[in-house]
Amino acid sequence: MKIASIAWKEVVTTIRDRRAFLFMLAFPIVLMLILGSALSNAFTDSLSFDELKLAYTLEDQASPVESYWNGFSTSLASSGVAATALSAEADGQAAVKNGEYAAYAKIGSDGIAFYGSSKLTVESDILQAMLASFANRYSLAMAAASQAPDALPSLLAAAGSGTYVRETSLTADRAPNSMDYYAMAMSTMIAFYACMSATQLFRSEKLRHTALRLTAAPLSKGELFAGKIIGSTVINFVFVIAVVAFSRFVLGAEWGSHYGSVLLLLFTEVLLAVSVGVGASYLFKSDGGSSVVMMVTQIFSFIGGAYFPLSGMTGWWVWVAKLSPLYWINNALARIIYSDDVQAMWPTLLLNVILSVLFLSLCAAFMRKKEAL
Amino acid sequence: MNVLDIRNVTKTFGDFAAVDNMSLSVREGEIFGFLGANGAGKSTTIHMVSSLLKATKGDIEILGKNIAKFPRFAKANIGIVPQDLAIYEQLTAYENVRFFAGLYGLRGSLLQERTEEALEFVGLGDKAKSFPKSFSGGMKRRLNIACAIAHRPKLIIMDEPTVGIDPHSRNYILQSVRKLNEMGCTIIYTSHYMEEVEEICTRIAIVDHGKIIAEGTKEQLKAIVTDTKEIWIGVRSEEGVGIEALRSIPGIVSARIDDGMIKLQSKAEINNLNEIIQQLIRSRADIRSVEEQAPNLESVFLTLTGRNLRD
Repeated sequence: MKIASIAWKEVVTTIRDRRAFLFMLAFPIVLMLILGSALSNAFTDSLSFDELKLAYTLEDQASPVESYWNGFSTSLASSGVAATALSAEADGQAAVKNGEYAAYAKIGSDGIAFYGSSKLTVESDILQAMLASFANRYSLAMAAASQAPDALPSLLAAAGSGTYVRETSLTADRAPNSMDYYAMAMSTMIAFYACMSATQLFRSEKLRHTALRLTAAPLSKGELFAGKIIGSTVINFVFVIAVVAFSRFVLGAEWGSHYGSVLLLLFTEVLLAVSVGVGASYLFKSDGGSSVVMMVTQIFSFIGGAYFPLSGMTGWWVWVAKLSPLYWINNALARIIYSDDVQAMWPTLLLNVILSVLFLSLCAAFMRKKEAL
Repeated sequence: MNVLDIRNVTKTFGDFAAVDNMSLSVREGEIFGFLGANGAGKSTTIHMVSSLLKATKGDIEILGKNIAKFPRFAKANIGIVPQDLAIYEQLTAYENVRFFAGLYGLRGSLLQERTEEALEFVGLGDKAKSFPKSFSGGMKRRLNIACAIAHRPKLIIMDEPTVGIDPHSRNYILQSVRKLNEMGCTIIYTSHYMEEVEEICTRIAIVDHGKIIAEGTKEQLKAIVTDTKEIWIGVRSEEGVGIEALRSIPGIVSARIDDGMIKLQSKAEINNLNEIIQQLIRSRADIRSVEEQAPNLESVFLTLTGRNLRD
């Protein structure tokens, strides 16, 4: 019961502390709104081009391929492709190299020779796909015409109909937009921020002179320690839940369907943060712990993906990012939310719990050794 | 029966002995004054009695039980009123008292009853739902006391409970101390205000350099001072009084001026009043009154320690 009283006191005093309330709730929500809106373009999964420039030469002017090509170029124009016929003497490849065109196609009755730009790779790929589609349809039309020569005119006329490009995506509906990403990143960041208030967990009692009353009361250091850790973890987790709920229900952020796993992972992160904060307050004298923790928290947040996504990062940056607990937790959460991979929770959860136990044991040993709090 | 027994207790911090082989007993029903200048070892002793610090050597017993062997028993029977306010600004007066009383094992309706009782006792019954930030300094001091008494301790340690408050609140607190004593609490009271100690304490110990240098009733302590007398001379203006010249008069032990009153301590056997008056006339001091004071605790303290309590 004494542990519960101390935990209750911790929760109430924190909730009524306006600065803590603003810092743990308003700050992540505002940051989520700012970053989520400002960086929305960085998360888009569509590409747009002004115009795809294709140069071509028709080697066999009299064959059916010319008629079929003419129909196809009408369709290309309506798809935003500017197809330019080059003279037989012109060097199409050089024009592509110079960046005048995204691709050059030499069309003959025996096939299409395609040269794509190494600079405009996406545009070149799209044109290649369109030409491959054209070649397939032409082969099909010729095969049909060989069986029914009367149908050839109508088959050639059909070249301009239908679409040659269809967008398909394997994960279009399962990738985070900017608000989804920052809802997750800010929630994990604010969960880790619990370590900053935790550095003051025992020091604040000294500053308020209540340490004397607590030490003089008939309760063990263990009860006091447990009560304060539980109280701090609970209230910080409540703040995290509030941030998650706001992002989900007000901003419409995606949190997947495994809420239990997501919240459990966030809870262990808060526990880890509180343990780190209390540990630092014992390792460093006076306000040294707070300063170190504040610095470390900012570094972990930065390298752990709180302010920008790390998906495009490679090499040494990834290794540096792996040092941040936020990186492990964001990765695990992303897998739970977007890949329904609930099992991804366990390694991170166990790591959080093991590190928390380690830090808390060290703190308990320090506390037992000290005369006062 | 002794509520507190301190036997040959020493507390060292490195090479420095803050408390040096101290022995002391406080009997049931006493208001025990604990006097000492800053750094004399008073707070260290109080911190050891309240289990905040462990004694390097010696034994401390509360109600006959050693606090090292029975810490919970000792703690349950002590109430601490720290010198600095020890309350939570984010909790209401009621929540503050209830929280601290809860740490002593009180639960349910008993906890509620004792909390309300303690707040009524210090005159904050109607402020139970208010937060301390809306309180005056005196009200906060009273709340500080309420937090220490709700669990009805046998021994209450009050460390400077009237520092920095208005006379009305000070009187209220002194009355509360007497009332608590009448209700059966034994009280250890420390203060820089000699008149408070003289007014309410039944027995007094003077501590200096970590040792008890005198102990007894105020009458017994005053009897120690037979070789000095105190002369108080009221002046209209402190300007040009010439305190240094007064100090050089034969027999003067100490001289100071405090709020228009020259306070001189002199050897009892030397009659130097004429010389003092002549010196003041020479320095053109406008004398209002001259009186010889009976020995008081301040003069006792000065005689024994060679310094004022507030030095």
